[in-house]
Amino acid sequence: MRKTLTVAEMALREIARRRSVLAIILLLPLAFYLTRREEHLGQSIRFVFLGLSWALSTAALFAANAARGMEPRLRLGGFQTWQLVLGRLGALWALGGALSVPYFLLIRFDQHNVRYGSIALTMVLLTLVAPLFGVLLAAVLPRELEGTLVLLVVVGLQMMMDPSGDASRLLPFWFSREIGTYAVDQTGADYLARGLVHAAVMLTVLLAAVGIASAVRLRRRGHLRLAG
Amino acid sequence: MQQDVKLYARGITKRYGRRTVLDNVHLAVGAGQIAAIVGANGCGKSTLLRICAGLAGPDRGTVQVHGTLGYCPQDGGTVDFLMPEEHFLLVGAGRGLSRGASRDAGRAGARALDWEPDPGVQARRLSGGTRQKLNLVMAGIGEPDVLLLDEPYQGFDRGTYLDFWQQLYRWRDRGKAIVVVTHLLTQLDGVDIVLDLTPAGVRP
Repeated sequence: MRKTLTVAEMALREIARRRSVLAIILLLPLAFYLTRREEHLGQSIRFVFLGLSWALSTAALFAANAARGMEPRLRLGGFQTWQLVLGRLGALWALGGALSVPYFLLIRFDQHNVRYGSIALTMVLLTLVAPLFGVLLAAVLPRELEGTLVLLVVVGLQMMMDPSGDASRLLPFWFSREIGTYAVDQTGADYLARGLVHAAVMLTVLLAAVGIASAVRLRRRGHLRLAG
Repeated sequence: MQQDVKLYARGITKRYGRRTVLDNVHLAVGAGQIAAIVGANGCGKSTLLRICAGLAGPDRGTVQVHGTLGYCPQDGGTVDFLMPEEHFLLVGAGRGLSRGASRDAGRAGARALDWEPDPGVQARRLSGGTRQKLNLVMAGIGEPDVLLLDEPYQGFDRGTYLDFWQQLYRWRDRGKAIVVVTHLLTQLDGVDIVLDLTPAGVRP
């Protein structure tokens, strides 16, 4: 456990020192929120979800890419792959939590007649899923530009695609739209249920994919036999 | 593998496309030995070291390591936004050291290279040579049995370069098996094994 916590601590320290990046990440969801606040308050909440998912995925993508050079030598130096992955994810989840709280408070005091509990739930789920998506992109697309472009495409599609269409369910943050609709438009519980199922599936799939991609990347090659 | 042979690379062959970079290379390094891998640019020195570390796979051949491995890459291998002491803590945690022991090991390694890490300077602010000192110190934390060093002296001034070789000799005296990639031949009389990877047709 100490090894995982040390990885998490160092990852947090590293992220905390990227002050300009942190400022952009903090302000990005606010920009999304303000674009729709005047004309459609409810829509602005869904845009905050989108901004949070983009900000957290991007932070995770860059943090994971920055660690690529270090991780193989840490793996050689006694860390298990899962300790490296879980430590980094722990740091990113903590960052997500810290980022979500002010936005929840903003919505809590700026918006009325919405289901605050469901909004908090969506933020928790986004905090869990978005870093996983960013870390997965970093694992399969080693160049930051490629990963950033894919993120851009995903968030763009999330914004433009009809959420009721089947294809939109393939998007990693579709659940935020469903639970968001439940929270903002006071729809039936079927929206909440669909959103929760989607989030659970995405969480499972992304965790498995990150685990597999990391295990492959940081595997000990078969030709090397360690004794003693 | 005999007990005192710490690293045994046997029949290592590596191809990139049609180009054979390493052809049936053997290397055995015992406890208390320094092996130097030399050769022209592009002859596969770093590739062999990465294969020995298990970071790259050969097309053929095996590597046996008796004990723990420490690896110092040619470049990279550090985290831009972390301080040197935080690198020590991170590497030390992997080796199972306490925070205090990690810090002490890092500081002792730095002193051996005549370097006093500034606690307020992140790795990205270090000069190239100092960053390589950090890299080298990290490789030695936790007293690994086998040290694989890929041209770690890049950017070192002459004094540090001499300190580096003294550190290698100290490690050798403590029974470590050391493999160092180099293209500088001046120190070869101080090593125990020289593996020249320059293809036969290219050698002068």
